[in-house]
Amino acid sequence: MTTTREKAGETGRVKPGESLIEVNHLTMDYKTKEGRVSAVSDVTFHLKAGDSLGLVGESGCGKTSVALTLLRLQASNAEITGGEILLGGVNLLDLSEEEMRLHRWSDISMVFQGAMNAWNPVYRIGEQIREALDLHWPVKLTHEQSRERIAELFELVGLPPEAMDRYPHEFSGGMRQRATIAMALSCNPQLIIADEPTTALDVIVQDQILKELKKVQAELGMSIIYISHDIAVIAEVTDHMGVMYAGKIVEYGGTDEIFATPRHPYAWLLLSSTPSITGPRRKLAPLVGEPPNLMKPPSGCRFHPRCPFATDQCAAEEPAMEDLGGGHLVACWNHEKVPVGLSETPKEDL
Amino acid sequence: MLGYISKRVAQMALLFVVFLTLLFLLLQAQPGDFASQFLDPRIPAANQELIRQRLGLDQGMWGQYWTYITNFFTGDLGTSFMRYPKTVWAVIVERIPRTMFLFTMATMLSYWMGFLSGKMLAWRRGGKLEYGITLGGVFLYTVFYPWFALMMIWLWAATLEIVPINQFLTPDFWLDSPFSATSVFTAMIWSSVLVVGGLLVVQTVAGRMKEYRTQVLLRRTGRVLVFGIFVWYWASSSMRPFAADITHHAVLPVVTLAFIAFAGVMLITRGSMLETLREDYILTARAKGVPDRIIRDKHAARNALLPVVTSFILGLAFIIGGGLVTETVFSWPGMGELLLTAVTSNDIPTAIGTLALIGALALIAHIVVDIVYLFLDPRIRVQG
Ligand SMILES: Nc1ncnc2c1ncn2[C@@H]1O[C@H](COP(=O)(O)OP(=O)(O)OP(=O)(O)O)[C@@H](O)[C@H]1O
Ligand code: SF4
Ligand SMILES: [Mg+2]
Repeated sequence: MTTTREKAGETGRVKPGESLIEVNHLTMDYKTKEGRVSAVSDVTFHLKAGDSLGLVGESGCGKTSVALTLLRLQASNAEITGGEILLGGVNLLDLSEEEMRLHRWSDISMVFQGAMNAWNPVYRIGEQIREALDLHWPVKLTHEQSRERIAELFELVGLPPEAMDRYPHEFSGGMRQRATIAMALSCNPQLIIADEPTTALDVIVQDQILKELKKVQAELGMSIIYISHDIAVIAEVTDHMGVMYAGKIVEYGGTDEIFATPRHPYAWLLLSSTPSITGPRRKLAPLVGEPPNLMKPPSGCRFHPRCPFATDQCAAEEPAMEDLGGGHLVACWNHEKVPVGLSETPKEDL
Repeated sequence: MLGYISKRVAQMALLFVVFLTLLFLLLQAQPGDFASQFLDPRIPAANQELIRQRLGLDQGMWGQYWTYITNFFTGDLGTSFMRYPKTVWAVIVERIPRTMFLFTMATMLSYWMGFLSGKMLAWRRGGKLEYGITLGGVFLYTVFYPWFALMMIWLWAATLEIVPINQFLTPDFWLDSPFSATSVFTAMIWSSVLVVGGLLVVQTVAGRMKEYRTQVLLRRTGRVLVFGIFVWYWASSSMRPFAADITHHAVLPVVTLAFIAFAGVMLITRGSMLETLREDYILTARAKGVPDRIIRDKHAARNALLPVVTSFILGLAFIIGGGLVTETVFSWPGMGELLLTAVTSNDIPTAIGTLALIGALALIAHIVVDIVYLFLDPRIRVQG
C-alpha cells in the first residue's frame, strides 16, 4: 500500500506555477459502423499547477471526450491517433494500464457529467470514498483515520459528516454532487476535471456548489479543468479558457480577456447569445444552425457553414492557431473582422 | 425490515389459501362427485350413500370446503388410496426431504455456476469462447428436457457407468443396514443446512468488522471451521457409507437438473452484467483506479446479481416442473414422482396433498428469495 504513492508519484508533486499538464496535438476518433467520428482534433492546452482552465462549447463538441482521454478512460471504440498528454513531464499515453491505474485519482480525479449516477447503489457513500483512500493514500489508514478524513472532506464541501453512512439513494441530487466533489478531493489529486458538475442541479444549488468548488480549489492549491457548455459558469471559476468547436480548440486565452475581446466568431457569438445578468441589457445575437456531424466535419474551418464572417478561403483552408500576444490564441482567418465588444445587432456590423 | 418480512409472509399465507381454494374448485369441476368415479356401481345404493356420508360428500359445497380447509390446517390430509391405510401426510413426509434436497442442491449449483460463468462471459465479451458458450447456453435453455435427461442417463450411467442408473439407493447394500434411509438422509440434509447457515453467519459477522484485514481473516477461518466440522462429523459417523451411497445416486439427477437451470441463469447474468458494466458508477470506479478484478466482482457483479435473484422467482415454476420430470425420469422417489403416480392411480387425496405441499414449498422459496433480496439491495431495505 505504501508503495502506491511512490510508484504513482514517479513524477512527484508539481510545484505551484510550474507546468502540471501539457496536452499537445491530441487527436482522437471514435470508430463506428458508419465511419470514424473525429471527436477530438489537434487539441493543445497547457495548465500550470494551481491554475484553473475552462473548456466551453456546445453539446457534442468533444469536451467529455477530451476529459476522459486525460484519464485514459475513453470509450473502447476510441482510437487516439496522435498527440501526447504530459503529466509532470511523463506522457500518460506511453504508460502501461497498470501504471496508468496508479495515476488515476491520486494525480487526476474527475467529477463526472451526470454525477448523479456516479455512485454504486449498493454501497454506502463513505465506503465508496474509503475505497479511493485505501487505493491511493500514501499510508494505510485505519478505519477511524479514514472516517476522520471523510468527515473532513464532507465538512469541506458542506455536508454533515454523519451522512457518510448513508446510501446514495438517501442523498438528494445536490448532496450527491457535493459528495462526488468530496470523493474527487479525497486523495489530494494534483488535478480535478469537473465535467458539467452542476448542470443537473437547480440554479441555487448550482451556485453554492460552484462557490464551494472554487473555495476548496484555492485552499488546497489544486488545478482544475472545468468543463461546461455554459460560458457564464466558466467565467466564474476559471483563469484560462479554451473555446471548443467540433472537436477543436478555436480560441484560447485568459478568461477575462476572452470575455472582454473574443476574437473567434464562434466565441463572439457564444458570448453574445449569453444573457448577461450583471451587464447592460442587450439583444441576443443569434447563433444559427447546428454543430456539424463529426463523421463528416466541414472542410477548411469547421465553423464556416455557420460563420457570418466566412470567406471562400475558410471553406478551403484550415486556419492555424495564431498568437495575438499574451497567450491569447485564435484559429480564424478573419479575426480582425470580429467587432470588439458584444454587438447588440451583429447584422449591421457585417 | 421486520415489518416488510411479516407483510410478505402474510401475503404468502393468503396466497396459499387462494391456491388451496383453486385446488378445491378444480376438484369440484369434475363431473359427478368423486366417489362416483371409483365406487363400484354394483354396491347397493344405500351403502353408497353411507360411503358418501363418511367421506363428507353429502355436506354441500361450502360445507365440504370448510372441512377441507380446516383439515388442511390441522395437518389432516386424509388417507392415501394407493398406500391404504397410510395417511397422506405420512406418505408425503417421507418424500419432502428428498425433493427439497434435489431442488436445493440443483438450484444452488446452477446459480453458482450460472452466475460465475455469466459474469465471465460478459467480462470477456467478444471472444470466440464467449460466443461458443453463449450458444451452448441457448441450446441448453431451449432443449427438450426429458430428452436431455435421458441422454444424460445414457451417457453417464449406461455407457460410461460412472454413476448408477436411477433409484435413490442400492437396495442390496442397505439390506442389513442399522439405519433407515430416511434417517440417514435427514442427517445429510441437516448437516448441509447447518453448513449453509454457518457460512451465512460467518459472512454476516465478518461483514460487521471494521478493518478489512479482520474481515478477510474472519471469513477464511470461519469457512475452514464450518467445513472442518462438516468433514469431521461425517468422517466419524457410522452412517458414512450409507450417506455415500445416497450421494452417489443423487449426483446425476442433481447435475442434470442443475444443468438445465444453469443455462437460464448464465444467460440472465450475462445480460444483466453487460448492462451493469455500462453504468456510470463503473466508470467512476475505473477513474478511481480500482483494479479490474475488483471492478468486476465488487462493483459490477454485485449489482448484476439483483435481476438474477429476481429471475429465481420467475424461474421457480420452471425448476419445479423440471424437478417433476427429473424425479420421474430418474425414479427419484420425491414429491414429483409421488404426484405423478397418485394422479395416474386416481389417488386423489395424495394428489391434492402433494400439489398443496409443492405449492407451499414454492411459496416458502419465494419468501426466502425476498429476504435474500432485502439483504442485497439497500434501496428495498428502507421502503419496508
Ligand atoms: N463512444 C462513442 N462512439 C461514437 N461516438 C461518440 C462516442 N462518444 C461520443 N461520441 C460522439 O463524439 C462527439 C463528442 O462527444 P462528447 O461527449 O465528447 O461531447 P461533449 O462536448 O461532452 O457534449 P455534451 O455537452 O453533450 O456532454 C459527439 O458527436 C458524440 O456523439
Ligand atoms: S476561419 Fe472563416 S469560417 Fe472559420 S471562424 Fe474564421 S471567419 Fe469564420
Ligand atoms: Mg459531455
